[in-house]
Amino acid sequence: MAPLPSRASTLLRTCPRRLLQCLNPAFATSQQRRTKADVVERSSGQYDQTARFESPFKNKNDNPTTKIPSFANYMSKKGETNNKTFQYFMVGGMGLLTAAGAKATVQDFLVNMSASADVLAQAKVEIDLAAIPEGKNVIIKWRGKPVFIRHRTADEIQEAEDTKWENLRDPQPDSDRVKKPEWLIMLGVCTHLGCVPIGESGDFGGWFCPCHGSHYDISGRARKGPAPLNLAVPEYDFPEDEKVVIG
Amino acid sequence: MPGIASGLYNSIFRRNVVFLSAVFAGAFTFEIGFDQTLNRFWDWNNQGRQWKDIRHKYVESDEE
Repeated sequence: MAPLPSRASTLLRTCPRRLLQCLNPAFATSQQRRTKADVVERSSGQYDQTARFESPFKNKNDNPTTKIPSFANYMSKKGETNNKTFQYFMVGGMGLLTAAGAKATVQDFLVNMSASADVLAQAKVEIDLAAIPEGKNVIIKWRGKPVFIRHRTADEIQEAEDTKWENLRDPQPDSDRVKKPEWLIMLGVCTHLGCVPIGESGDFGGWFCPCHGSHYDISGRARKGPAPLNLAVPEYDFPEDEKVVIG
Repeated sequence: MPGIASGLYNSIFRRNVVFLSAVFAGAFTFEIGFDQTLNRFWDWNNQGRQWKDIRHKYVESDEE
């Protein structure tokens, strides 16, 4: 084993001594210059809780070359609290303005993204149902898409409700598709590729899509052909007895 | 004046939570007042030129 370098070995020898100094206060006091008060505090295990500070520049004769400038001219005459309150007030006021401005900016962006008045005006369509006789279809345009409204006869309602809907491609009872059984309202867009089906035709007495031969029954459910889903039902409501609002 | 300043400091600025809440609450009320003032100024500046000022000339009946 190679001998330790001389510096390392010195360190090793002094380390236990230092440790001893830390552990034994009496030993420490003998090694270092301490004031009498410190020794008393250390040995009794109690420290003075009040902070003290003694300026090292108090005695001018100690540091004859040190010249401390006077800050009296720069100190506030109004006192600490006034200035502190003023600063916090300015900071808070700036934050207030910033918060209001940021909120207005974000709000403007969000308002900009919402639907404009002309879009909202066209979003709802009101139809007078009294003009539609029983057993007739009406096609209206709503948001650029055709909407079928059929005034169903009692026979047709019976037929739609009696259908075994559990085994259909898109199983849905007739009661889920209408709010009033005599009024069937749905989007006139074939769920296959978006053609407009023809009314009162097809094998099931409902609608028939001429593009690829999908058949819908009198409740607008897909029964035959490539259509995967029933004709969609839009949001609608009957504000009065003879009126419907779609949208 | 020192009483106001120290009261303000002790009640609002001392705790950051209170300070921040006061800032946001102040922003809310400030915005309302600011908007109302500006709207009033706009209406005053455009007296007789807005639709609500000339509506009665064109719309006689109340409904539509």
